[in-house]
Amino acid sequence: MIENVTISEVERELGQLRAAAEPGELPKLRTSVMTHMAWVPETWVEAATETLGGLAERHPSRTILLFPRPNEERDALDAEVDLRCFRRGGEEREVCSEVISVRLCGKRATAPASVIQPLLVPDLPVFLRWRGECPWGAVELEELVDVTDRLIVDSCEWPDVEWGYARLAEILDRVVVSDIAWARTEPWRRAIAGLWPEIADATEIRVAGPYPEALLLGRWLGARLDRDIDLRHEPAGEIELAEVDGQEAVPVRYERPSASDLLSDQLEIFSRDRVYEETIRTFSSVPT
Amino acid sequence: MAQAPAIPQDNPLLEGLRKRRAAEPCALTIFGASGDLTQRKLIPALYALAFRGLLPSGFGIVGVARTPMADDEFREKMKQAVMEHGRDEFRDDVWEELAAGMRYVATDFADDGGEERVINCLNKLDEERGTSSNRVYYLAVPPSAIEAIVVAMGKRRSTTGWTRLIVEKPFGYDLESARHLNAVIKEYFHESEIFRIDHYLGKETVQNMLVLRFANGIFEPIWNRQFVDHVQITVAESLGIEGRADYYERAGASRDIFQNHLLQLVALTAMEPPIDFSADSVRNEKVKVLKAMHTPGPKHVVRGQYGPGFIEGEEVPGYREEPGVAPDSQTETYVAAKLFVDNWRWADTPFYVRTGKRLPRRETTIAIQFKRAPHPPFEVDSEEGLRPNVLLVHVQPDEGVSLAIGAKVPGQGMTIRTVHMDFLYGGTFRTGLPEAYERLILDCLLGDATLFTRADEVEEQWAIVDAMVASWKRDRPNFPNYAAGTWGPVAADELLHRDGRSWRRH
Repeated sequence: MIENVTISEVERELGQLRAAAEPGELPKLRTSVMTHMAWVPETWVEAATETLGGLAERHPSRTILLFPRPNEERDALDAEVDLRCFRRGGEEREVCSEVISVRLCGKRATAPASVIQPLLVPDLPVFLRWRGECPWGAVELEELVDVTDRLIVDSCEWPDVEWGYARLAEILDRVVVSDIAWARTEPWRRAIAGLWPEIADATEIRVAGPYPEALLLGRWLGARLDRDIDLRHEPAGEIELAEVDGQEAVPVRYERPSASDLLSDQLEIFSRDRVYEETIRTFSSVPT
Repeated sequence: MAQAPAIPQDNPLLEGLRKRRAAEPCALTIFGASGDLTQRKLIPALYALAFRGLLPSGFGIVGVARTPMADDEFREKMKQAVMEHGRDEFRDDVWEELAAGMRYVATDFADDGGEERVINCLNKLDEERGTSSNRVYYLAVPPSAIEAIVVAMGKRRSTTGWTRLIVEKPFGYDLESARHLNAVIKEYFHESEIFRIDHYLGKETVQNMLVLRFANGIFEPIWNRQFVDHVQITVAESLGIEGRADYYERAGASRDIFQNHLLQLVALTAMEPPIDFSADSVRNEKVKVLKAMHTPGPKHVVRGQYGPGFIEGEEVPGYREEPGVAPDSQTETYVAAKLFVDNWRWADTPFYVRTGKRLPRRETTIAIQFKRAPHPPFEVDSEEGLRPNVLLVHVQPDEGVSLAIGAKVPGQGMTIRTVHMDFLYGGTFRTGLPEAYERLILDCLLGDATLFTRADEVEEQWAIVDAMVASWKRDRPNFPNYAAGTWGPVAADELLHRDGRSWRRH
């Protein structure tokens, strides 16, 4: 990563990468369907890198990886620009996506919007994947939410989910939100829906799985049936069981998708998920 | 693992869950199950659907063909077909589930009782696999065999479930035979139960033609005679007849490709916007185009037959030297035509179409060539490298869309060159494109006939071809008239040169 760069230098580097490498060589084809930003605090770098592997191939986009380093003494930007190129079957030319990694050092970490705005691909949607818990109310989150069309979180990465959901509910009017934990519950929600109408008067749901996902299932069921549902939760690494009033919900041919698959699915969705928002708003009464 | 039961529609828990195209339980019977199509396309497509969990929980496949074979032998053959031709990794669990519902019946339908054995096998599948008496009959057989199967199975229709019929192309041999076939089928099946397949309509890029036109506000206003100079549609194959002399000698390029794929591409290019994407709305608009198309006169049609030549550096024989082909065969392996769609939108705008075998490469494209800018203010020399704007839809192999535009060459002065803006499916959406047969088989299981051809559509197509080939009976062309590995007869170039145009450069 080159230290102390300007955004103009980053843009110039992007242009050079696109140009032909050798005389006579065809310029590289660039393709983008979105700008995909990821906010990656230090503790999430490894997980984020793993998830992004293979993603560019499925969702060619300009990817901007933002690595905040607010504790560094330097007030500067470090950056690296790279092309991820994929050869298509039978084609001589490669199709490339751009990956821009930016380290925001010192005060720069609190003004990310001014860094990324010149780098957004015009007219294409902007997706922001926020790794770890969002710093609710912090300027960096507020700024990035304002330039984002869709915020993607994984509430399983949050230490206090009830509180997190309550804060998330406060920004739902400003940005469309995808929660990967919610996406993981989809086969289970579908299976529970298969128990209708026998469960129309249900009072209890028992879930063996991660707490955030169990909580989402319980609140979802309550919101949909418009009644209070007691949650009986048993910890597990992934959802293994969901029972509504003793009736087991069995998903059809269920295989747990990888982190990349889950994120990839979210990058294909453009509309609001009203049912998710309704579920999250049930947490609004959690005190700040 | 137990399957989730059927979900009633008024279920509040379903809101927000992404809708799935879920087919009802059914059994698919493939007539012609030992054939090439079954192994190369149909079974791999069914495996791909099973791989994605798109087949219903109660599903069975009955293969019917003359070749004597036990169920296990059939399953093993189909397994090899999936391993060889499937686009997904081979997974034992997916295959085992699919194969468990696979049965085979050996009969040739001349043999009395064959149809009863098929019905018995289907009834047994209902009990064993829960296929609910719903039937799909896939007729992957030559046109001559269709009638007997339709009558036999039509007389033995299931009285409880639904029945659908998929009929492979060619649908008939000419207008008369197509009308007869339609009449026979309609004695036993309603039009909504008949799925005449033209696999081109299952291709993503062909469907994208509708999206390109009707989901983008910028194209439709210029998609007419005022702005379009002409349209070129090419369906080129580098392959020869691949051992299908018996079929091809009778069909030729006009019946093999022109009557179906090519005319469908013309119809999709020229049709008016349908009011919705329902089967009848889309097909109504396509039929209007076919009705508006006037029959090309002899001067507007060129036919050809390939002689020996080279494909990818390899010497290949001429058509008449292919095994099973008559040494004096008059069958055309190439057709080019200048068509007109006589309606308000397209009057006097030529549609140049061509299809052929043993052309230099496999390529299907639709090129919309726009009129030149009326008065470019640049010096004549500066425009030497400028060609008219062309919107190019690549149907296969490199699926996508390109727009050719003029751009200034950087530097001093004003030199203009044509550059291409490309949208490549493979570069933008990297999820593998589904095979056409996957889409079409699933659509049939769901009862959606939008991408299948209707009786009147097929008959209109035959009417055009019949009129076109009628004049061919009177003369003996000087075949072969193009070498394998070239872009067809010289006369095809002259067809455009006479109008001051030329075929696109490849």
